[in-house]
Amino acid sequence: MTNKSALLFPAFITDYTRKEIDTLTSNGIDFTDYVRVASDKLGIRLPDFSYDSEEYRNDELLAQVIAYLFGCAFSDLLKNNAVKPNFGAGYSMGIYANLYAAESISLEDGILIIYRAFELVNELACNGKYGMGAIIGLGVDDINDIINKSNINAEVINTNSEFSYVISGKKADVVRTLDEAKNEGALNAIPLNVNTPYHSSYLGGFANRFAKFIEFIDIKKSQYPIISTYNQRIVDSPSEIRKELVYNLTEKINWYKTMQVLLNNGVNEFYESGAGKDLSKGARFINGEFKFIRL
Amino acid sequence: MAQITEQLKKEVKEVIYEFFAEECETSIDNISDSTNIIGDLDGDSLMFLELIEIFKKKYNLNIELKTIGKYAVKHPVKTIGELINMQLLIIEHENNILTIE
Repeated sequence: MTNKSALLFPAFITDYTRKEIDTLTSNGIDFTDYVRVASDKLGIRLPDFSYDSEEYRNDELLAQVIAYLFGCAFSDLLKNNAVKPNFGAGYSMGIYANLYAAESISLEDGILIIYRAFELVNELACNGKYGMGAIIGLGVDDINDIINKSNINAEVINTNSEFSYVISGKKADVVRTLDEAKNEGALNAIPLNVNTPYHSSYLGGFANRFAKFIEFIDIKKSQYPIISTYNQRIVDSPSEIRKELVYNLTEKINWYKTMQVLLNNGVNEFYESGAGKDLSKGARFINGEFKFIRL
Repeated sequence: MAQITEQLKKEVKEVIYEFFAEECETSIDNISDSTNIIGDLDGDSLMFLELIEIFKKKYNLNIELKTIGKYAVKHPVKTIGELINMQLLIIEHENNILTIE
């Protein structure tokens, strides 16, 4: 059987394997170079990276920046080792590192997009009234029943697998949904460390402004087909990439379907291009013959 | 209602030990009944979910995931030994697990 591979990019880092820096260094990649580029682009001195850094864990912007930089650094490692993927997909904000790996955007422009997206949605999030949560162990109908019965302002915005979902909405309502989910038998229902209702209808109002900003970013045709997490179409042209960037911020996504489309396209090897192993952990609930190659 | 035999207890223990050794990339010798799943093995709810699915298939169990979740809220599991006992109760009582004291 011919091997087909895909690069997958995480959006955030729950837990480091704590081997990331050693792996990059032993492959000739100096991660401090990436942090320096981001510092220069943002015009601030980013803190030195450490696995226990509270800033990179708790500051929403810095958490995205560091996940992006690791995604980019690991994609460079793969490139240096002649790994040529057949496809790529970015989980939520993992889209930016995916576009860097596909040579559609520069490292610097990725930082710029992350910053602008954050700045825009922060108009909504800065009052601290919004949030997200993860529910494991209930089906989507159970979660929607909770939301509908109690007239809660929260939405299921991502499906990770048949029994793993992400919700987004007003913080108090997200917390209420999580509490109700536990009462209904969820194995786990936890808030995520963000103040922004990513992928929810609350962000719909930012679509036009973000699209206008994206118009001025230099975007090239991707070097490999990217699967949209919004509607699972193949994205490779600059115009489609621009649309996808907006959809990815303001619309619901479906990681489960995205993985199924990759498998249906014959992918049987996945590389998690980033820190931690959240995506390989989640993939245990996706049916198919495939393997995750640990970096 | 399944009969819990010594053979079944041994089998369940073996499955759970082997599962965590593989998932947590550790030697089976590092696992005992008193091992804390989160503190010592860095385990998580996704692993718990996967393990439930393994047992559901292996013993053809008629039990809803949310029933197990409701039981787990009242009877939280911290160690491997506690998890083995819970799994044996699931096999024994299936969807009636919430009715037992």
